[in-house]
Amino acid sequence: MVMTLRRTLSIPLQWITVPTTALLVAPVAYITFLAFHGNAAVWQRLWATRLPELLWNTVALAVSVSVLTFLLGFSLAWFVVRYEFPGRRIWEWALVLPLAMPTYVLAYVYAHLLGMGGPVDQWWQSLFGPGAHMLAPHSFTGVSIIMALDTYPFVYLLARGALLSLNVSYEEVSRVCGVSPWQTLWRVTLPLIRPAIVAGLALVVLYVISDFGAISLLRYQTLTYAVYQQMTGRYDQSAASILSVLLVVMALVFLVAERWFRQRSRFYQTSGRYKTSERRRCGSFGPWGMTAWAALVSSVAFGIPAAVLVYWSVAAIEQGALDARFVGFIWNSAFLSCLAATCAIVVGLPLAYLASRRPTPLNLACLQAAYAGYALPGPVAALAVLALFTAFIPFLYGSVVILIIAYVIHFLPAGLQSLEPAIQQVTPNLEEAGRTLGLRTRQTLWLITLPLIRNGFLAAWVLMFLQSMKELPATLLLRPVGFDTLAIRVWLEASEEYYELAAPSALLIVILSLPALLLLASKDWRTA
Amino acid sequence: MEHWTDKRTVASPSGDPPVSSETIVELRGISCAYEPGRPAVSDISFAARHGEILCLLGPSGCGKTTILRAIAGFEPVTGGSITLAGQVVSSPHVLIPTEQRHVGMVFQEYALFPHLRVAHNIAFGLRNLSRAQRQVVVEDLLKLTGLTGLERRYPHELSGGQQQRVALARALAPQPLLLLLDEPFSNLDPDMASRMRQDLHDLLRRTKTTAILVTHDHDEAFAMADRIAVLHHGLLEQFDVPETIYHMPSTPFVAEFVGQADFLPGVVLRERVSTEIGEFPNLKRLDDGSSVVIMIRPDDIHVVPDKSGTAHIVGRQFKGSENVYTVQLPSGELLHSSEGSLHIYPVGTAVKLHVLAAHTVMFSDSRKGAEPKLTDLR
Amino acid sequence: MLHVITRRLPWLLALIVISGSLAITDGYLLAADTLVVYSGRAERLIKPVLDEFQTQTGIHVKLLSSGTTDLVNRLKAEGERTPADVLITNDAGSLEHARELKLLRPLNLSEVDHAIPPQFRAQDDSWIGLSGRFWILVYNTQQVKSDQIQSLLELAEPRWKDKIAIPNAGSEYLQAGVSVIKATHGDERTKQFLTGLKANAGPHVYQKSSQIVDAVAKGQAAIGIVNHYYIYRHLNAQPEAPIAALMPDQQEGGMGAIMNVAGIGVSQYSRHLDSAKLLVEFLVAQAGQRFFAELNKEYPLRPEVQADPALVARHSFRVAMVPLARLAELREPTLTLIEQVGLR
Repeated sequence: MVMTLRRTLSIPLQWITVPTTALLVAPVAYITFLAFHGNAAVWQRLWATRLPELLWNTVALAVSVSVLTFLLGFSLAWFVVRYEFPGRRIWEWALVLPLAMPTYVLAYVYAHLLGMGGPVDQWWQSLFGPGAHMLAPHSFTGVSIIMALDTYPFVYLLARGALLSLNVSYEEVSRVCGVSPWQTLWRVTLPLIRPAIVAGLALVVLYVISDFGAISLLRYQTLTYAVYQQMTGRYDQSAASILSVLLVVMALVFLVAERWFRQRSRFYQTSGRYKTSERRRCGSFGPWGMTAWAALVSSVAFGIPAAVLVYWSVAAIEQGALDARFVGFIWNSAFLSCLAATCAIVVGLPLAYLASRRPTPLNLACLQAAYAGYALPGPVAALAVLALFTAFIPFLYGSVVILIIAYVIHFLPAGLQSLEPAIQQVTPNLEEAGRTLGLRTRQTLWLITLPLIRNGFLAAWVLMFLQSMKELPATLLLRPVGFDTLAIRVWLEASEEYYELAAPSALLIVILSLPALLLLASKDWRTA
Repeated sequence: MEHWTDKRTVASPSGDPPVSSETIVELRGISCAYEPGRPAVSDISFAARHGEILCLLGPSGCGKTTILRAIAGFEPVTGGSITLAGQVVSSPHVLIPTEQRHVGMVFQEYALFPHLRVAHNIAFGLRNLSRAQRQVVVEDLLKLTGLTGLERRYPHELSGGQQQRVALARALAPQPLLLLLDEPFSNLDPDMASRMRQDLHDLLRRTKTTAILVTHDHDEAFAMADRIAVLHHGLLEQFDVPETIYHMPSTPFVAEFVGQADFLPGVVLRERVSTEIGEFPNLKRLDDGSSVVIMIRPDDIHVVPDKSGTAHIVGRQFKGSENVYTVQLPSGELLHSSEGSLHIYPVGTAVKLHVLAAHTVMFSDSRKGAEPKLTDLR
Repeated sequence: MLHVITRRLPWLLALIVISGSLAITDGYLLAADTLVVYSGRAERLIKPVLDEFQTQTGIHVKLLSSGTTDLVNRLKAEGERTPADVLITNDAGSLEHARELKLLRPLNLSEVDHAIPPQFRAQDDSWIGLSGRFWILVYNTQQVKSDQIQSLLELAEPRWKDKIAIPNAGSEYLQAGVSVIKATHGDERTKQFLTGLKANAGPHVYQKSSQIVDAVAKGQAAIGIVNHYYIYRHLNAQPEAPIAALMPDQQEGGMGAIMNVAGIGVSQYSRHLDSAKLLVEFLVAQAGQRFFAELNKEYPLRPEVQADPALVARHSFRVAMVPLARLAELREPTLTLIEQVGLR
């Protein structure tokens, strides 16, 4: 009975999934086509001029940010999971907050604070004499640190989740074998939580190579930024297409490598029965050292920028920045983000469901194709959608629809990360058990299936909402007339160096993101 | 290179514990508490001599694992002291780190490092040896534990029994003073468990390893241990050789926990204790008229069908090698009797009871005047 | 479980389509007196003028701010469906390019013909210049004397190594300026100039002219290329800043100052032609010119409207002899040249 139900269901579902997949893949396919049918001279020109530098910059930044986020994220996760120190509960939460701060906001705040002649810079010079600079925000080091401050929570959250669910017996065995705690950390703990750390670093790397806002405010030349420059600086889009394709290839290579690694280490997952460790206190100075470290990181990554935003916002409001248009920006942001998140769920659900219940090659391929959006930075998603739609369905250009499609392509993978395990959780057995207990189909849905998948759905929706809220390049390029969002306002003002006027919008993005973020963080992010 | 091999050649054949008076581990009145004021175990004392196998036996939550972890150095003690090879390693003021205690441990779920192959798991604690020496030790242990040929496998590619043997080999590799085993057979199916039990016993004897094993299974304790410590609610109830534990339990709890036991009320009349099924010697020299309970095991009682018998068979449980009969006495008390596999009597048969006990185990009734009930004793 | 969801899917999709199309039609079904303006000008430099226009005429203005090239690409992509009525940019080349693509409608307004001299308009009045802007050298008065440099081309000389600040290659005004140099001096000298410029600037390549002025004011760079008004904007905020302006290439036989204009064009497919024309007339009128130009300290193109007295007097310098309309055709080769040199 259930089998037949599922069989009858899957046919109409396939009618949905196959076209949506096609829609998701078509833009990328189209720019690839454009890139390879473009003028060979453009390839040569790019190779001779920009490419080596862009590739090097992108890779170097990804590597340095990975190293920094690992150091920050892992050390903090280790402290909050394994040690007791003053304010631990507060720091445990505070350390997640930077996720609510868009990177471009962090970048513009620090560009001002640390930049030549900025308040921090002046103070530094008053201490160490003229010519001394604390840190140049536009330098490689500066860009790396700013990006790392915003992305370390990915590593922190995943490492924390892994440490919390790590069977402490492994470490005890190691100690029994005569291995010191420090050695145990390197020989046992780190290898065991490596999959989580790699997953966190993968998010970081994808974030870094696809970031546009911060990179452009800090004038660091990566491939993504170059795509945007080519798109907005030239009438001919073939160079942008070529750079996009290279970027996509880069991200794909990286993703495939990460997947391969994860498959290989799948058996690392500890079984259901485990003992968790207890929190220790470490010496008399240890706890205060840890508090200081956590306080330093969370205040530099969130506290200080947030305070500066508040300070600027007050100044901006005194200048009359909060007018009626502002309400419109908030509404636009909320409307677009809600619509994008909902659409992505509607599109993602059949894909995840079919791949989980009827894992035929076709269904699995559809799901994998949807994940391809991961490798698609915002400007590329925008370019791809733009190119495809202006060529074939021009009347949609300049409408919300096209922007939503770009969002869905771009953010669906993040949502699928939560949707997929949620659906896999609902094994047919559970539904069948419900049926044998006399529930009808609809009751099974309400009493068994929905409660089981609710959290996964919520997490997916919230995640995509958050990301859409902060999204910049695609919005910038595809927004309809009169559809400025908060993110657009921040960017328009900040790139004109009107720091104060950008602050209220930035602050609002942070405030609107916070509840959703806390909701997500409370789920421990073990699904990610 | 005085490792493994040398030791094994002098090891006595399995069977009796090796003769040695050297005390390896001694617990003196230790207490552990997870929360202040609520000790998980208190005032535990026992010692193990070189080559001896001790068993900590008790139901879950009795504190046996806590004791094991205190010996390993994972839990601090709030009172008393633990001495390993003459050195105080745990006391309220001393806590020598685990890695400096030279103990080995096999965990309940084995905790094999999933990222390391079998050989590397075994060699994990051998960092101070050269590569070649490590190789020798690992090969030796693979042979000893019957794992030869599996050294390149990952833990998830092994069966439960193999995993257990790897865990054992890993714990033995650094030649620990003392081997701690935390319910090592609980993850195996019963057949495999009994085979592994025998293997482990042989192995420990051959290597003259001093071991402390935690279990909740009395059969396992009897099969493995030279001496058994029975724990209940964090207290040591009895510490003795298995035979004494079984036949002469010192408390009703021990009596029940190590095997099936029935308790029959009786009254002391001078030199004898009078019960419904007969009289027993008053070994404890209790005062006249005091109420006692007598412990009777199924193998202490023999039933004989007899029309004039006042007791009746009310149930039979066929266990293959034996039949266990439930017999009701006229007073309504129930007793159990173990009979041969071929002695089959229908329910309702009137029987007479023959008591075969060579020794009497009696406990004074803890609550004066009250009829002893099984529920009170459990 | 998907049973119900599949049954509801059509409704969800319908909901999405409806809300989506609401947003689309928003662009078309604007009230009759609403004007959509695509602007490549910083919002701060255009919004007050449009607000003033709205107050005076009651015509509601909707503004889309973005990059100039991006907006032209956008107009092209939208074709006849564009919601845009008016395009305002800071670069005559982009406007001319839009004209060539037939995205702009030729205007025939006597008011405009009277107000703006013909060299600042398209030949068919498809676009009309509104204000003038010039490349200027900003120098740190503590590091450089005004007689140390006369021509832009000198910036490529080794003596300026690590001392100059330049805008990034993506900015339209840099492209337009290089086009003028290329048209005046030819490919080879331009290439030499750009190579030297790149070497001397090193890391001092900036996104925004304001950052260049800032860098010069702080002494990080000795001299920089910017549009003229940035220096006044900076001096307004910080009158003590040790910076001064220098109009280059005024020497005997020199190229003359590089000029570009901010201008306006009406979309070929505008559905609010009358309102659009009203806006053009508003901007070329004396009051509009003053307002528009003063917002940013640009030079009004209407001859009888005076520029801000703080600026270098308009009649005191010569302008390079390259027609604005040529900027469009020069652009592609210029970009190729810039990329060949590898300017960022």
